[in-house]
Amino acid sequence: MVAIWHVIIAGAIFTVMAAAYIGAGYAEAAGLKHLQVRGLGSIVNMLVLMLVFVMVIATLLTLAERKWSALMQDRIGPNRARIDLPIPILGPLLAKQSLAGAPHVLTDVFKMLTKEAFQPAGASKFLFNLAPMLAFAPPFALFAIIPAGPTVVVAGEKIMMAVANPDFGLLYLFAVASLAVYGTSLAGWASNNKFALLGGVRAASQMISYEVALGLSLVGMMIAFGTVQLGGPTGMSEMQSHYLWRFTEVGAAIDIGIPAWGILLQPAGFILFFAAAFAETKRAPFDVPEGESEIIGYFVEYSGMQFGLFMISEFVEVVVLAAVLVAIFFGAWYLPFGNEAIAQMPIFQEHGWLMGALYATVFWTKVITLCFLQLMIRWTFPRFRYDQIQTLGWKILLPIGIANVFVSGALILLDPSMRMLAIMGVVQVAIVTGLTLIPRPKERDEAESALAHAGGH
Amino acid sequence: MSGHDDGHGNNPTELQHNPGSAEKADLRERMYLPDLIKGLGITITHFMRNLFGERDPNPQVVNRTGMSLVSTVQYPEEKIPYPEGYRGLHRLVPREDGKPRCVACYMCATICPAQCIYIEAGEYPEDDAAVESRVIEKFPTAFVIDELRCIVCGLCVDACPKDAIRMDTYTHTPSEYNRQGFVYDIPKLLKGPSVTHPSDPWFKRGSSEEPDHVHKEAHTRIGEGHTAPRLVAGPRIEVDKSNPVAVTKFLK
Repeated sequence: MVAIWHVIIAGAIFTVMAAAYIGAGYAEAAGLKHLQVRGLGSIVNMLVLMLVFVMVIATLLTLAERKWSALMQDRIGPNRARIDLPIPILGPLLAKQSLAGAPHVLTDVFKMLTKEAFQPAGASKFLFNLAPMLAFAPPFALFAIIPAGPTVVVAGEKIMMAVANPDFGLLYLFAVASLAVYGTSLAGWASNNKFALLGGVRAASQMISYEVALGLSLVGMMIAFGTVQLGGPTGMSEMQSHYLWRFTEVGAAIDIGIPAWGILLQPAGFILFFAAAFAETKRAPFDVPEGESEIIGYFVEYSGMQFGLFMISEFVEVVVLAAVLVAIFFGAWYLPFGNEAIAQMPIFQEHGWLMGALYATVFWTKVITLCFLQLMIRWTFPRFRYDQIQTLGWKILLPIGIANVFVSGALILLDPSMRMLAIMGVVQVAIVTGLTLIPRPKERDEAESALAHAGGH
Repeated sequence: MSGHDDGHGNNPTELQHNPGSAEKADLRERMYLPDLIKGLGITITHFMRNLFGERDPNPQVVNRTGMSLVSTVQYPEEKIPYPEGYRGLHRLVPREDGKPRCVACYMCATICPAQCIYIEAGEYPEDDAAVESRVIEKFPTAFVIDELRCIVCGLCVDACPKDAIRMDTYTHTPSEYNRQGFVYDIPKLLKGPSVTHPSDPWFKRGSSEEPDHVHKEAHTRIGEGHTAPRLVAGPRIEVDKSNPVAVTKFLK
């Protein structure tokens, strides 16, 4: 049953992305032919990637958060909302199905859209209404530079599956990510509520603190790939299709090797970036600015869809963070092996959109997996105290980030083929894995004494 | 060594400091990551087991060892069986002829700490057709229990000398749309299997051939004759909404 759902979801992603490639290709060609303008394809990309993929995944994550957390905690999760349509046969049939809780998404949307948008007395009207938009827009706009698929030729036009690919790439990401702080602090201030203001201050200081570590954590990757661009032929995504070590000859039936994925080159950078970006999303374990049930946060005075914007922006941040991680650390849309073999297949050379849709499905699968990982983290880790958050940001992530920059730079200088960097990364991963798997001396002693005890009796 | 590992290994910080233990935290505790990964492993294991396992709906399982660990009971469809001796909704025990065994002695109403029982006594006519009715003087013309006031202590069951009120229905009070619905009168209370004791007065008249020692005390017979399966609650008690019970006197 679960496997069938996976196939259906993958098929849906493939279909939509194939349509996106073809649509973008023909829109670009038509725009050039009739209007003599470039960029119609990018508009199609924007509609498909942002409005369809990011929004749909974010919306479904609101359900997934509840359903997945339930499964982790040995519960079932929401399954009581039903769709009751006045249709003869299909209606009663649908009304019996819980559809894995999917109707709860609809009920949430209708609830938030029909609720009163309350405004507290004495609140700054303009800023109060502006804050949710400022909180929602930046994570959404972040997605613009992330390529969701390879560049292929459709209808005679080269189609890059990204809204834009500016030269300043990651700098755009940092710049826009830092704008999100305005939404939270304005929401806190404009609410005319002391607790909201305190929540806004907490959010602002946390986000500003972690921006430093966020920027530093990616410098290692920038050095390694020699670029700040994500898309394009020299961007970080394309660079990760290269092999550090090849196990097969060039031109073999299938090429196998160790690819230059960011996670291999910079595991420390990955952990730093992940932690810092997690703090930026203000989700557990970094959710002191607002803790859904127990900490009054900056949007305490918001209701209806204005609250909904804050909530959905959190989930959009999750999707975008997952996409950024995939693009930088997890080989973008590439498979760990066999990419050259796929590129040489005649069917893919003939129909570029087919290869694009296939790789885009890989990309979105990786994104969804990382969304899953983020939700797992959110429901596993205990919340940090506020001083611990600042300690982690300034005293741990920042020094490690600086050290990481120097170590990575030195290793790249020694060996421009990045192999030494990869060995370093493997050593780091091995140390963490070893410490995780090898039991502590105390635990080991306890286990042994328990065993001896059992034998003695 | 990379900056990542060096930084964690050489900087004991408040974040990893465990104030509970006197001994110095070891490397993996100060690194924080191994323990986090272990925690993630536990939650992901639970997730996968519950995602791919088939839920065992039996609520009696204490220690689940199957694939799925979900212990949720889908309440209206599935119910946890009540334990033996559960004090459920009251019932007035009927005689074999369908009339209540109650003799309107007011003992239950007197002992009730919540004062939720209201009884009005009537007298059987001396020439009543049923022999049971001829040998007892009184019967309740009104027997009302306010289930909202009831604290389910079971004292009324203990106090009853005639085994006429029991709490062996193994259902709790079903929900209602108004308070009036929780005021149960004789038609709503009188249900369940009938009970007859050899010690009942209509047997004792004349020459009883039953020896005394087979006469069980009433309290040892709680639950006797209750045959409905415990796993499923009894049929839902239908409330006659068209004709509300007139108990305004009682509610005052």
